[in-house]
Amino acid sequence: MRVVLADDSVLLREGVARLLEDAGMEVVGQCGSVDDLLLKVRSYSPDVAIVDIRMPPTHTHEGFRAAEEIRAHYPSVGVLVLSQFVELPLAMRLLAESAEGTGYLLKDRVSDVEEFADAVRRVGEGGSAIDPTIVSQLLGRRRDESPVARLSQRERAVLELMAEGLSNQGIADRLTVTERAVQKHITSIFRKLGLPESTDGHRRVLAVLAFLRS
Amino acid sequence: MSSGELAPLETDGATPIGGHRGILAVRAARWFRVALWPLGLAAGIGAVWPSLSGAGLGVDDALYLLAGWSFIASGLVGWARRPENRVGPVMVVTGFFWFAAALWAQAEGEILFTTGVALRDFWTVLVVLLLVTFPSGRLGSRIDGALLAVFFAVLLPLNVLWLLFLEEATWNAFLVWPNTRVADSIDTAQRAILLAAIAGLMTMVVRRWLEAGAPLRRRLIPVVVGNAALCVYGLWLVVAWIRDEPAQLLGRISLLAFAFVPLVFLVGIFRARMARSAVAELVVELGAIPDPAGLRDALARSLRDPSLTLAFWLPEYEAYADLEGRQVELRHEDSGRATTVIDRDDEHVAVLLHDAAFKEEPALLDAVSAAAGMALENARLQAELRARLEELRGSRARIVEAAQGERQRLERNLHDGAQQRLVAISLELGRLETRVGGDPATMELVERAKREATESLRELRELARGIHPALVTDHGLTVALEALVARSAIPIDLDIQLDHRLPEAFEVAAYYVVAEGITNVAKYAGATTTRVTVRRSGGRAVVEVIDDGVGGADTRGGSGLRGLADRLEALGGRLRVWSPNGGGTRVRAEMPCV
Repeated sequence: MRVVLADDSVLLREGVARLLEDAGMEVVGQCGSVDDLLLKVRSYSPDVAIVDIRMPPTHTHEGFRAAEEIRAHYPSVGVLVLSQFVELPLAMRLLAESAEGTGYLLKDRVSDVEEFADAVRRVGEGGSAIDPTIVSQLLGRRRDESPVARLSQRERAVLELMAEGLSNQGIADRLTVTERAVQKHITSIFRKLGLPESTDGHRRVLAVLAFLRS
Repeated sequence: MSSGELAPLETDGATPIGGHRGILAVRAARWFRVALWPLGLAAGIGAVWPSLSGAGLGVDDALYLLAGWSFIASGLVGWARRPENRVGPVMVVTGFFWFAAALWAQAEGEILFTTGVALRDFWTVLVVLLLVTFPSGRLGSRIDGALLAVFFAVLLPLNVLWLLFLEEATWNAFLVWPNTRVADSIDTAQRAILLAAIAGLMTMVVRRWLEAGAPLRRRLIPVVVGNAALCVYGLWLVVAWIRDEPAQLLGRISLLAFAFVPLVFLVGIFRARMARSAVAELVVELGAIPDPAGLRDALARSLRDPSLTLAFWLPEYEAYADLEGRQVELRHEDSGRATTVIDRDDEHVAVLLHDAAFKEEPALLDAVSAAAGMALENARLQAELRARLEELRGSRARIVEAAQGERQRLERNLHDGAQQRLVAISLELGRLETRVGGDPATMELVERAKREATESLRELRELARGIHPALVTDHGLTVALEALVARSAIPIDLDIQLDHRLPEAFEVAAYYVVAEGITNVAKYAGATTTRVTVRRSGGRAVVEVIDDGVGGADTRGGSGLRGLADRLEALGGRLRVWSPNGGGTRVRAEMPCV
């Protein structure tokens, strides 16, 4: 797994690079600016680019714009956007076309090394990684009469992890249950929400997100 | 009356009628004037009595009577309508002197008869007095004064002197040194001087006419007519002198002209009154016109001088400037333009550049500039107040913007500093966790440290958001409000209709209004639906937070909305809160936006 890192804080960049290398990934490039990032993405064709949302020169939304550009011009490169804040409307914009190879996580998530490395790997393999904050905001908006209210607690937990982009195996690991049990829950969830069942990872995420957004 | 100093024609009602003169004096004057009507009638009839009782009234007698009565009647009307104006009384006196010679001629006794002869042309002096002092009420120049003196000298002292030598007349009671040659010489001199004086007067009138601009020419018509009459009279004198017998036709024309003169003067007085009422209209009009351009137009209208320029005194430059701020040079008097300085409380306010002819009507100018001075002072005070208000609003807006800039800087410092470092720390703790493996006590310790760091980050994030909503700056109001609604604990309908971004200060203010509104709804309202709308309406951005909760929100005191209202007002907007008990709450913020 080849990674390009873009963050104007060298301290953090180095830390993330070490973390990823510890996890067996190869950090092929590091940079502190958007132009440099685009250059490195083009030259190295990494599996995933990790991008800080606030970058020079204005420190507003340069990183976000760069992420969108990479998504548009380099579909083979997964993009994981990191931020001090995660905001639902930005997540929706990022996922507007496809959840494939897309991630949007709070920076804090780097503290959980394994989960973070897993998220990077998922995005690099064309999956997705959506921050739990976003998912819970989506779920929190549901009114009582929503079909989501009919889900059991366990089903709801599965739904959240599914929306975050985790695979069945990932969900099973996280919930310490068997993959078969997860599969059963998922079938039940799709039935209760009235969604056509899909095994394809990122499509499944998108379907769930679209459902939650509606 | 020898001074020739008439009361100004334009006193602008300065003489308080019920004041020092007293109401009794006014009534007495009125009865006096009423009594003068039959007296004038009687004087006229008396003057032509010989013809009436004899051969009957001839054309000359009728014209003579008409002229005399014209003076008396016009004078009395003018006097009644404009008591403060002496043109009326002077005309009345002129009329009586007109008849005086003929009355005295019928008198028994040589002394009375001779006195009549001595005074028979005195009315001419009074006519000249009218001519040289109209319309300003003052002698225009020394030459005017000298001419008046000459007329007086020729027609009274020289007449008496002539009588002292005149021996031909049997009735002459004044005869002291009978000497026909001296008497004839005096008579010749009188006629010559009189003709010269009439010519001089004519020259002066022509000069005044030529100097006058259109506005004043209209007012000079009585003077011109009076002079024409006087010239015809002079011509009649010349012809009578040369032919040694009076020219009948010329005499009649002259009489007719003199009958006409008082009427023209009467119209002149009323026109002056009309000008004065134009000033009154100006005062009323100026009350409603605070802007300088309107003021200039109103002044030009009331003075009937379209070329009028208004220039303001700029104390800081010690110069006059017109409405566009260009410097104005005050021209010399002889350029046909004149200046009238408008002062208020010993300070220059402005200057009027107008037709030089208005110098002839100082009272009208005084009235107009007094009215304008008042309006200008008002306008100046208003402008000053507006400027101060604008300054204050500007400084409030700058304070708000400076505070906002400061908060933004703080938020960025937090983001780039403490927050990044805390993230780095939790990252290192995470890595540490993967390495220590095995020892549960150490794992527990690292886990706790990680939780602390995460919690600190969460608190710091909230703090930073409170200091400055970076999302507004970074992604705009729409994204920020969507995010706000997504985070909100209560369901909210959000309806944003903005085609492009608002100025940042407004976006931040709007964001705070919605954030505060939503917080209040969640805390107090117990609402089932909450609606947030952002839209443009008539050059304003309108942000509303409407709920159907319990209402009765405290909108005064130290609520967060109070501070927001201040912030909005500083930006030229406003905040309104309706919160009737049981009727929900509606928070509405308006901001100007082009």
